[in-house]
Amino acid sequence: MFKKSFTFAFALLIIASMVLAACQPAQTTPTEAPVVEPTAVEQPTAEVVPTEVPTPEVVQTTRKGGWLDEIVFSVVASDSALTQIEAGAIDIYANGLSSKDLPAIKDAGVSYSTSSGLYYDILYNPAGPEFTDGRFNPFSNRKIREATNWLFDRDYINQEVYAGGGLAKFFAITTQFPDYADLADVARKLESYYAYNFDKAKEVITAEMEGMGATLVDGKWMYKDAPVTLIYIIRNDSDGTRIPIGEYTAAQFEALGFTVDRQMKKGSEASPIWIGSDPVEGQWHLYTAAWSATVLDRDQSNIFQEMYLDSSAQGIPAFLDNVSDPEFKELGDRLATADFATLQERHDMMARALELSLQDSLQVFLIDGKQFTPYANGMVATADLAAGIEGAQIYPYTLRWADQEGGTVRWATQDLFAEPWNPIAGSNWAFDQGAIRATQSGDIMYDPYTGLLWPLRIEKADVVVKEGLPVGKTLDWVNLEFAPEITVPADAWIDWDAANQVFVTVGEKNPEGLTALRKTTLYYPADMFETVKWHDGANLSLADFVFGMIMTFDRAKPESAIYDAQAEPQFLPFQENFRGFKIVSTEPLVIEYYSDTYSLDAELNIPLMFPTYTFGEGSWDTMAVANAAEAGGELAYSVDKALEKEIEQTSFIGGPSLEVLAKYLDQAIADKTIPYAPTMSAYLTADEAVARYEALKAWYGEHNNFMVGTGPYFVDQAFLTEKTLTLKHFEDYPDLADRWSNFGEPKLAVVELDGPGQVKIGEEATFDVFVTFKDAAYPAAEIKQVKFLLYNAQGEIVKVAEAVAVEDGQYSVVLDTATTAALEAGSNKLEVAIVPFTVSQPTFASVEFVTAP
Amino acid sequence: MTQDTQAGVLGVPKKKTTSAFARVARFMGIRAVTLLFTVVIGVYTTILIANMGGYVDTIMRNDIRERVNQRVAASTANQNISPETRRQMANDLVALEEKRLGLDTPFAIRSFRYLFNALQLNLGRAQNMVSDNGSREVRNIILERLPATLLLMGTSQLFLFFFSVFIALTLSRSYGSFWDKLVITLSPTSAAPPWFYGIFFILLFAAVFKILPFGGMVDAPVPDNTFDYILNVLKHLILPASSLIISSLFLSIYNWRTFFLIYSSEDYVDMAKAKGLPSRDIERRYILRPTLPTIITNFALLVIGLWTGAIITETVFLWPGLGRTLFRAIGFFDTPVIVGSTIIYAYLLAITVFLLDFVYVLVDPRVKVGGGK
Repeated sequence: MFKKSFTFAFALLIIASMVLAACQPAQTTPTEAPVVEPTAVEQPTAEVVPTEVPTPEVVQTTRKGGWLDEIVFSVVASDSALTQIEAGAIDIYANGLSSKDLPAIKDAGVSYSTSSGLYYDILYNPAGPEFTDGRFNPFSNRKIREATNWLFDRDYINQEVYAGGGLAKFFAITTQFPDYADLADVARKLESYYAYNFDKAKEVITAEMEGMGATLVDGKWMYKDAPVTLIYIIRNDSDGTRIPIGEYTAAQFEALGFTVDRQMKKGSEASPIWIGSDPVEGQWHLYTAAWSATVLDRDQSNIFQEMYLDSSAQGIPAFLDNVSDPEFKELGDRLATADFATLQERHDMMARALELSLQDSLQVFLIDGKQFTPYANGMVATADLAAGIEGAQIYPYTLRWADQEGGTVRWATQDLFAEPWNPIAGSNWAFDQGAIRATQSGDIMYDPYTGLLWPLRIEKADVVVKEGLPVGKTLDWVNLEFAPEITVPADAWIDWDAANQVFVTVGEKNPEGLTALRKTTLYYPADMFETVKWHDGANLSLADFVFGMIMTFDRAKPESAIYDAQAEPQFLPFQENFRGFKIVSTEPLVIEYYSDTYSLDAELNIPLMFPTYTFGEGSWDTMAVANAAEAGGELAYSVDKALEKEIEQTSFIGGPSLEVLAKYLDQAIADKTIPYAPTMSAYLTADEAVARYEALKAWYGEHNNFMVGTGPYFVDQAFLTEKTLTLKHFEDYPDLADRWSNFGEPKLAVVELDGPGQVKIGEEATFDVFVTFKDAAYPAAEIKQVKFLLYNAQGEIVKVAEAVAVEDGQYSVVLDTATTAALEAGSNKLEVAIVPFTVSQPTFASVEFVTAP
Repeated sequence: MTQDTQAGVLGVPKKKTTSAFARVARFMGIRAVTLLFTVVIGVYTTILIANMGGYVDTIMRNDIRERVNQRVAASTANQNISPETRRQMANDLVALEEKRLGLDTPFAIRSFRYLFNALQLNLGRAQNMVSDNGSREVRNIILERLPATLLLMGTSQLFLFFFSVFIALTLSRSYGSFWDKLVITLSPTSAAPPWFYGIFFILLFAAVFKILPFGGMVDAPVPDNTFDYILNVLKHLILPASSLIISSLFLSIYNWRTFFLIYSSEDYVDMAKAKGLPSRDIERRYILRPTLPTIITNFALLVIGLWTGAIITETVFLWPGLGRTLFRAIGFFDTPVIVGSTIIYAYLLAITVFLLDFVYVLVDPRVKVGGGK
C-alpha cells in the first residue's frame, strides 16, 4: 500500500514539476522606468560640413576587406535567441527583437543596438455618416477623429505594452527621422496641445455626436434608436502588441458610451474587411494598423499624401473615401510632388501639414516602435538607425571582435534561403539580403546614422540641378552646382533597341533635343579595373558596367529574348523620368547620368552604375549565362515568369538552377559567346569572354554556387535544407579593413541641462546645456543646432529659440526679462533639442523650474 | 487426354478455384473503387477546407493589393510620379500577381483542376512556397523534407513501437509487479505533448548543461566529411527524438500491456503454462500470434503516419521536416502544397488499408478475403 502511494505521489511530483517548469517564463520581464530616447535626424540643408571620407579611429591595419575570417549564418527561433547568446551558441540575433523584449535583453546583460521598428496607429473608416444599411459612423466626422487624439494616453501604451521601449507618436513622420528634428518645435507644440485629456475628448466628441443626431441614453450612445456599435478590427498576429492596444483603445471608447464590437483577426482575415470591402458597407469602423520605416528616409514630404489623402499611393478604399480639408489636400499633394521652391518654403509647408494632419486624423498614430538587435559582448556591430544591423549596408565592413583581427562570428537570423537568390528578381527577404549584402560592394556607402551617401567605389561626383530646385548638400565629396538649363548630349544613351541589341541615343529618339532637371557625373578611380576583383579572381571591367546598363532596359522590352512582363510596371516610372547616360571616359571611368528626378540632398542624387542590381551583384559573365538560360526557356529571374512558363526560378545559390546554369556556361565557353554582341563587342573580345567564363566555371567547381560578387566576403558553402551558410574573408578586396571603422557607434549626444530651480518673474535666467559623447565634449562643428522650447505652467510652448554656443560641448539658454515676465507663477519646463550633423537622431533633455513673483 | 483427365479429375476443385478467384477479384475491385472514392472525397474536402470554400481567393486578392500598394508607394516615393501612373503601375502588378496565382480563374473550376491533377499525382507548382533549394515544384518541396522527417519520425516512432511492444509483452506476463505499477503510474506523463518535453530538454541540455544543440539538423558550419556530418546529425537528433519518445512512451507501453494482458489471461495460455511451456514460447505462440493483425495494423498505420511529421516539435527544434512544411503551407494558403501532401498521404493510407486485408489472411487463418458478410 505504501509502495503504491509512494509511486503515485512520485508521479504527481514529476508532473507538477514539469508543469511548473513549463509555466515559468523563459525570461523575466519586469517593467522599467520610461526611457527618454534620442529621436530623429537632421534635415536637408545647404550648409556644408567639412567632412572627409570617415577616417579610421582605430589602430592602423594592413588587413583588407572585412575584419573577420568567417561569418557563419544559421537559423534560430527568436524565442530562444537571447538564451542562445547567453549560452554562447550564437553571437548575434541579427533579425532583431521587438520593443517588448527590451527588458529581457537588458536582464540578459548582452549588448544590443537600436533601430526603427513597426509604428502603430488606428485607422478610421471615413465613410458616412451613415453606412448603406443606415448604421451610424461617427468617424466620418473629422472633428471626432481629431478628438480621439486626446482620448488615448500614448505614454501609458508605451509603458504598459512596450515596457517603455517605444516612443509616443503623434505624426505620420517618423519620430527619429530628419524631418521631425527639423520640425521639433512645431511637433512638440502640437504634442503638447494633443496630449492625453479624456475630458476634452469627451467634450468634443459629445458635442459632435449630438450635432450629428446621436443621443446619449443611460450612458450609451444611440442613433435612430439603435446603439452606436463600433466594429473594431484588432489584429491578433504580428508581434501581438496590437491586442493590448486594441483592448485599451476600445475601453476608452466604451468609457465614452460607445458599444464596441472587438473582432480579433489575423492579417489574412482582416484584410478582406479593411482593404477589400467598400467603406460605405460598414464592415468596420476602426482598425489597428501598423506600418514600417526600414530606411532612414531624409525626405518624408510625401507622407501626408500617403497616409491621409485620397491620392495616396496606398490605394486602399479607406484612403480613397477620405474627404480631407481642401487646404490639407492641396498641401499634401504639393509636398508629394516637391512643389516648393526653397527649403524654407518646404519647412513651412511641412509645419502646416503636421497641424492639418492631426485635424484630419484619418489615422491616429500612437507608438513609434523600436527594434533591438542583441549580440554578444565584445562584438562590434554597426546598426543603421532605421534598418538595424541586418539591413545596414555597412555592417560587413565593421563587424568584428573588439581589438581583434580575424575570428568567426556566428550570425543567427529568422530564416534563410526563403526564395531563390538572383540579382534581378531574387529573394528580397531581410535575412537573405543580410547575407547577400556582405558579398557585394558598389558605388556608394549608405550612412547608417544620417541617411546620406558616402563614396565607396566612386571617387567623387558632380551634381548639377536646374536653377530654382531646392537641393542642398551637407558633405564635401560631392560638388553641387545649379544651371539655368541642362541639355542632354545627343550621343547619350536613352533607350535600348532589344531587337538589334544596340542603345538608342538621345539624338535618335529626341532629334529636337532634350533637357533634364538633373545631371550627375560619377568619377571612378583610375586603377579601379586593376584593383577591384570579382570573387572568382577576374578583374572588374567596363563590360560589367555596360552590361548593367543594358539590363536596365532589356527585360522590359517585348522584343527581348529575356522579356518579362513583371519588369514592365517598374520600368514605367523609371522611363518617365530617365533622360540618358553617357560614358564620357573609360580610363578613368567617368559616367554622366541625366534625369528629371532629384532629391533634396545632393548626396542622394547618385545613380548606381556599378554592376549591383536590385537584389545583388552580378558579373557580366554570370548574368550572361543566366540570361542564356532564360532565353533558352529553362530558367527565369522572376517568379511570375517562372510560374507562367512552368520552369524554375533562377538561383545562384543552389537548387536545380545550378545544373542548368552550368550547362549554359559550358555552352558559352564552347561558343566563345559575347552577350549582346552588337554592343558588347566594343568592350569585350571573345578571348576575354572565355577567360571570364573559365574563371566562373572554376569558381562553381570549387564552391558549388554562382554567387560571385566584389564584396569583402564570399560565399564558401551553402546548405539550403540545413539552412546554414558560410561566408569567408575575400583577400583580394581592395580597401583596408579600417576604412569604415569610424562608423562603429552612432555619435548620439548626451545632454545635461543645468540652471536655477526657481526664477523670479521679470528677471533674467540662464541655463547651461552640456553636450557630450562618451564623456568628452561634443565638438560644436559637429552640431547643427541646439534649439530650446519653453513651456509655461499650462504646458503651452511660449518660446522657441536657439541656444548660444559657449564652447565645444557647452551652450547657454538665456531667458530674458521679457520672457520670464510673461510667465505666470507655477512650474515651467525648459526643453532642449540637440541636432548633430554626424547622426540624424536629435537628443532631448528638459528641466523644470518654478516661477514666482 | 491427360489434360482432359486432369481437368475432369480437378473439375470440382477448379470450379472452387475460379470461384475463389472471382470472389477475391470482386472484393479487390469493390475495395479499390471504394477506397478511390474515399480518397476523392477526402482530397476534394481538403481542397475546399484549405480554400475556405473559395474565400481564400478574397483573402489573397486583398493581400496582393496591400503588398503591391506598399511596394509601389515605397518605390515611387518622392519620384515625381503622377498618381495616375502610380495607380496604373499598381493595377498592372496586381493583375500580374493575380494571374500568377490563378485568381483570374473561378475557384470552382480551379478546385476540380487541383483535384484531377492531384489524383494523377501531378503535384504542380506551389503558389507562394519555395523549396529550400529554390524550386517551386511541390514534388521538390515535399521530397527535400522527406529524409529529415523520416529520420526524426522513423527513429522515434519505430523505437517507440518496438520498445513499447517488447516491454509491454514482458509486463503483461508480470502483472502487478513493481515495474508494472511504475509504468501505470507514469503513463499520465504522456498528457504533456512532445514539444513540452522539447522545451524542457532544450533548457536543460542546451541552455544549462550546454552539451546538446538548441535545434537545427546540423551544426553551422556544416562538418566537412560525411562521417562527421552523420555524427553531427545524430547529435542534433537526440533531443527531438527523445521528446517524441518520452512523451508517448509510458502510455504506449500501458496500452500494449493492457492489450496483451487480455490475451495473457486466456485459457489456452494458462493451459500452455500448465503444460510447462517456456515463457518465451508462450509469449511468441500464444500471445503474439493472435494479436498479430492488430500489431501489424498499428505498425502499418504508424509507418504511413511518419509522412505527416510532427509540426510543433519540428518547429521547436527547427527541424527541417514535412510537418513544418505543411504548417507553413496552411499559413500561406498554398493549396498545391497542402493538396500534394494530402494526396500522397491519402494514397498511402488507401494502399495500406487495401493491403492489410490480404495481410490479415496471411497471418490469421480464420480470416477469408471477401468472405465476410
